[in-house]
Amino acid sequence: MWRLTGPLAFNFFLLLMLIPIHTYADEFKVEVGQSIQEAVDNAKNGDTILISPGLYKESVLINKEVTIKGEGGAIIGGGGEGNVITVTASNVVIDGLTIQNSGSGQEDSGIYIQSADRSLIKNNTLKNVQNGIYIANSNENQLIENSITSNKAHFSKRGNGIHIFKGGGHFLKGNEIAYVQDGIYFDFTKGIQVSENHVSESRYGMHFMFSEEISAERNHVENNVTGFMVMDSAHIDFIQNKVTDHFHFRGYGILIYETKNVQVEGNEILRNSTGLSLEYGVDTLISRNQIAANQVGLEFMGKNENNTFSENNFIGNVVQSKISGDDMRLDDGVKGNYWDDYSSFDLSGDGVGEEAYKAGSLYDRLLRKQPYWQFFFESPSIKLWTKAEALFPSFGAADVYDARPLVEPVIMIQEAEQRSKDRMIPGVLGILFILFSIFVIVKGRKLR
Amino acid sequence: MIKKLGILLMISVGVMSGCNNSAMEPEEINPEIDVCEVCNMGLAHEHYATEIVTADGEIYKFDDIGCMDEFLEMEPLLKEESAAKKYVRDVGSGEWIELDKAYHAYHPDFWTPMANGVVSFKDRESAENYVKEQGMGEVLDYDSLKKHEWSWGQ
Repeated sequence: MWRLTGPLAFNFFLLLMLIPIHTYADEFKVEVGQSIQEAVDNAKNGDTILISPGLYKESVLINKEVTIKGEGGAIIGGGGEGNVITVTASNVVIDGLTIQNSGSGQEDSGIYIQSADRSLIKNNTLKNVQNGIYIANSNENQLIENSITSNKAHFSKRGNGIHIFKGGGHFLKGNEIAYVQDGIYFDFTKGIQVSENHVSESRYGMHFMFSEEISAERNHVENNVTGFMVMDSAHIDFIQNKVTDHFHFRGYGILIYETKNVQVEGNEILRNSTGLSLEYGVDTLISRNQIAANQVGLEFMGKNENNTFSENNFIGNVVQSKISGDDMRLDDGVKGNYWDDYSSFDLSGDGVGEEAYKAGSLYDRLLRKQPYWQFFFESPSIKLWTKAEALFPSFGAADVYDARPLVEPVIMIQEAEQRSKDRMIPGVLGILFILFSIFVIVKGRKLR
Repeated sequence: MIKKLGILLMISVGVMSGCNNSAMEPEEINPEIDVCEVCNMGLAHEHYATEIVTADGEIYKFDDIGCMDEFLEMEPLLKEESAAKKYVRDVGSGEWIELDKAYHAYHPDFWTPMANGVVSFKDRESAENYVKEQGMGEVLDYDSLKKHEWSWGQ
């Protein structure tokens, strides 16, 4: 029992901290024509500032623990210089504002949070800003259901939707980000939960650099150059995300480069130039993903170590796998993956094919050195070459194989839900068509 | 007919020699499609990009000077001045400068695409100004850059 008293005392101390020092929390209202900055300057910690609808042309510095709440149609427009709102105090709430026209410097942002913790940024619309929300050296901030777009320029001139530099422990949920450079940029940051965000029409959906312990769940990234770009990071989890339509010339669904301990589970990786690419990936666990309709399903480059693949579906990719790296095994020893171009049989009836599935071909390695040889894709000579190589496996390609290939695709729950709806329509149409045919046959006979 | 063929031949010869990059000049960056040879990252921050132009006319592009150095470690043959020219850009103007003529400012906290912290300039003066402006860092010339320990090498 005595062991508990320590934490209890600490919790009690925390509770004491939460009791506000001042007795009244005031509420101000700012009307059009008045200055929000003045209201902030006159407020004290814990106050709430309500912003009436209208356009407020000013940049605001929030250096007190206040709540800023916009009534529908409250717009703060910076003068095209610096940040629109700069937050340097902790426990700030910014809710329901439209924030626009930041400067165009590399770090200029709609909301810039500098060394401030536990703020809540909710339901805001940020547009015509260089970066949407920039969080530097701060901890445990929450960004919820904001909508962010940058300038109309080419993505190389735009900033990021949400940029997180150092610090960590943030929570990002339900943000809608489009037309930025990188949707969410994790820069030397740690311990972040990112869920149900949607990023489209940008360069990278999410960009991980030198970051750790980030969990991305149920996000949707689509129509960017690349969905998830993961570099020099560790402990990144991708759970049940949708990564679709990255058909850019250099597009990837997920690209993992020099990264350790990545978990990719239950994602839908559909319609990308390259679905999943690993280069210098170590200790990754890739399971139960749907990797379908990509130009290249799976790509390995360079050295990849200690990676586990199991129960993924590789369906309808133009090129199933492209391998120019080292040897690798593509099953966890019990279960492998479903490859729709696997052509052997399951004689023992355990759902696992008797022959190993061999991924990649010698052609892949040539392509790495001579990209222009793509021109000869599916040409008779390359086909002959690939076939000869399959017969004489010692020919020189890396030995990447799945020793336990599945003969039936793995059924994934979320996908089944989608299908049941779609199946109704062809079914009904079919029945109508049959009824009509019977009618024609019966009536036709009678008429003759 | 023969005359026409001759003209065609001459045009094609002209086009081919035009393609031949004998001066080993750097090529403009296209941020839409160019990616770093080493790390695959897009070259969105164009002024931090670097290039290696080989005597055979092959051009390798990098998003950060650190990636170029890593590439040269993997392809030591290209280290020779006669085999390839290495270019960096003045971060302010975007002007291409040969690596051995450029000056650099270095501090681990300087922002660069791959966080190598080395920013390049066309002359010593602008590098010194940058260090003064940022209030930290040191200036590196070609020789001290050779001795520099890159973050990827540590």
